[in-house]
Amino acid sequence: MSVPGTTPAASVTFDHVTKRYAGTGSGDRGAVEDLTLEVPAGRICVLVGPSGCGKTTSLKMVNRLIEPTSGRILIDGRDAAERDVTELRRSIGYVIQQVGLFPHQTIGENVGTVPRLLGWPEPRRRARSEELLALVGLDPATYRDRYPAQLSGGERQRVGVARALAADPPLMLMDEPFGAVDPIVRERLQNEFLRLQADLAKTILFVTHDIDEAIKLGDLVAVMETGGRLAQFGTPEEILASPASDFVARFVGADRGLKRLALSRVGDLPHRPAPTVRRGEDVAAAVARLDVPADYLLLVDDADRPIGWVPRRGLPATGEIDEGIADATSPLFDRRTTLKDALAMLIDAGVQAGIIVNERGAVAGLCAVEDITAAAGRPPVEAPPPDETPPPDEAPR
Amino acid sequence: MIRWDVIEGNLPLIAAKLGEHLALTGVAVGVGLVLSFGIVLLVRGRRRWVGPTLAVFGIIYTIPSLALLAFLVPFTRLTFLTAEIALVGYTLLILARNLLAGLDAVPADVLEAADAMGYSRVRRLWQVELPLALPLIVAGIRIATVTTIGLVMVTALIGYGGLGQVMLRGYNFRSDSLVVAGFVLTVALALVADLGLGWLGRTIAPWSRARRAGA
Amino acid sequence: MELLGDVARWFTDPANWAGSNGVPIRLVEHIAVSGLAIALGGLIALPAGLAIGHTGRGELVSTAVAGLGRAVPSYALLILFVPIFGLGFASALPALVLLAIPPILVNAVASLRDVDAEVVESGRGMGMTEWQVLRGVEIPAALPSIVAGVRTSAVQVVATATLAALVAGGGLGRYIVDGFALQRYDRLVAGALLVALLALLTERGLTALERRLARGGPTAAAGVEALGQPA
Repeated sequence: MSVPGTTPAASVTFDHVTKRYAGTGSGDRGAVEDLTLEVPAGRICVLVGPSGCGKTTSLKMVNRLIEPTSGRILIDGRDAAERDVTELRRSIGYVIQQVGLFPHQTIGENVGTVPRLLGWPEPRRRARSEELLALVGLDPATYRDRYPAQLSGGERQRVGVARALAADPPLMLMDEPFGAVDPIVRERLQNEFLRLQADLAKTILFVTHDIDEAIKLGDLVAVMETGGRLAQFGTPEEILASPASDFVARFVGADRGLKRLALSRVGDLPHRPAPTVRRGEDVAAAVARLDVPADYLLLVDDADRPIGWVPRRGLPATGEIDEGIADATSPLFDRRTTLKDALAMLIDAGVQAGIIVNERGAVAGLCAVEDITAAAGRPPVEAPPPDETPPPDEAPR
Repeated sequence: MIRWDVIEGNLPLIAAKLGEHLALTGVAVGVGLVLSFGIVLLVRGRRRWVGPTLAVFGIIYTIPSLALLAFLVPFTRLTFLTAEIALVGYTLLILARNLLAGLDAVPADVLEAADAMGYSRVRRLWQVELPLALPLIVAGIRIATVTTIGLVMVTALIGYGGLGQVMLRGYNFRSDSLVVAGFVLTVALALVADLGLGWLGRTIAPWSRARRAGA
Repeated sequence: MELLGDVARWFTDPANWAGSNGVPIRLVEHIAVSGLAIALGGLIALPAGLAIGHTGRGELVSTAVAGLGRAVPSYALLILFVPIFGLGFASALPALVLLAIPPILVNAVASLRDVDAEVVESGRGMGMTEWQVLRGVEIPAALPSIVAGVRTSAVQVVATATLAALVAGGGLGRYIVDGFALQRYDRLVAGALLVALLALLTERGLTALERRLARGGPTAAAGVEALGQPA
């Protein structure tokens, strides 16, 4: 269900932002040192780094829960410091790890907090509350009148997101929102978050210490190091393919090649043609069709759906192929399967190539292990220029 | 033993003294609430002042009521004001401590979320902090009320005394019935207040009783 | 101000320091009746509290005692007891004993309840008798809190002993009651100062002693529930 976002998303710019605490040097915890980066409207920017790198501090300077020592933060070009702080905060959605739902209010009232602060009339608040609960996957009739103590951690986190979205803010700040739930719930929440973002296209600043989460969710990733310095800023691809320093390389992990594979899909690679032979077709005709010699033929049915592999040696020169000798061990992929999953399936099955099928299940080509490993070694794909919004059917990563 | 005719004959006195008892208690707790509230709100921001403030309230609390009345009488004479100043003094420590504890018990993430959503300090206090502190505040009112009901009798020395006056009259006129009547009524009043405010404390926070009905 | 002068003069008048109505005698009376009341009250309340806390039965008694302790005014008890025990300390003592009981009882019960159940269980598991568990495990662990209860009770009793003068008893309250009766503000205020000072010193002194006994650990007397009655 898509909610029309009437508020256009805002861009966020950090301009040489520094935060120092009295009595500490610039290398100490909680400080931020000369942070400069630009987040275009409608993008998710993930701030990631080890504890003490200043990512949460940077986030909190945007809604001025913490004030910068020097530098400016611009939201849609306006300096946040010049705006009335209460009005500023009411226009920014904020989600934290412990959620901070008001225990003494019902879920419905919690979601309607900012609308109430903005003076919306009660019927409008209620309607908006219910709309948002449904959007985050909670049945309004069931949840609206419950109290936070009655909800599980995952449910509470969804309410937190709904609450942050209530006044349709142009900008959202999220501080480790999925950190306090178990991994299964976390993955579900992450996927739903991406689905939501595909509909709403908000500008989101997201803080996490988990590099995998950063890569999965971010359009742009800012890696920060202890001392509050920005180590690298770029797309997940860029960070993985070309880490700017030893620190970034170590933080990303030694398996960054594999991580990169999670970013690409089978559909991104050129397909190998599959050496197919139809059921009931004559062997000689099929062989004649081949561009290159093949040791195996792929037996398919009348709708081109795969049945299994047949070894070329030992086949009669002409005549039909006996279906019984076909070996159906190859995994099936579609265009959206990530290269990482495809490689894992191939390794599990112990075969060299998998079969790519389209929506109707018909064979579209092959994807071999060597195609995937070749892709892992390629230079990174460039990020789309900032003023281009992603096409609506691009699958969220 | 109990002479009901004596009690019946003194009903006007008993009723009047009950009313006086209620008035003395009500005004004391009411004024105490307003005062402790105001002082706590002032002092909360400057943490260094909290300790000394509570210490002062504690000293007042420790001073025996007879002595406190004695300090006041030379200045405010034998008036309702004197009685109330003393009674209010004894509520301050209880109410202030509970108010502070209640406000301190509000979870930090709730406060952070409230700030981030754009609550002003005043609105945050009224709509978030105080409601959440309410159970402890009501507990404080409960203890302060029961304590005050017990203390009222001492004000007999300056001409008040509430239901304690009924007891004293019985004592002076050797009427056991009146003594018992005064005593029973006082204890009953205290128990009613204790149970009533206890019930209030439980019903006022429906959210604290709501529990997970199973995932 | 004039009043201060009068009070100062009262204190410097040697007549007020001698004889049966002199400060030393009154002070001794006050402390003696208080000490006796605490001792007797403790004798009753401690075993009862330890029994209830250890067995876990009879908690209702403890709750009732606590409630009554707050609901019953001390002055009322004095008036009730005079026809039975007579005037003066004869009535004051029983009233003070009753007053001393609730804090000691309630704290004893609560402190035993707060002892780590696992530690107690391991004691039983090692073959200790119930009595040995109580003596060797529970009481040592609960001691700071028990002492806190005794301290609360003592402060309360010392303060309330002032009221003994209301039923013709002695003690420092005598000056206040006489001062009211005779409209002599110098005696009134002087008595009040003495009483206030004694109450505060008792509170401070016993708190310090309690801290030493508990070897510097914070006592469990958190929350307003642990406050004594104002006198």
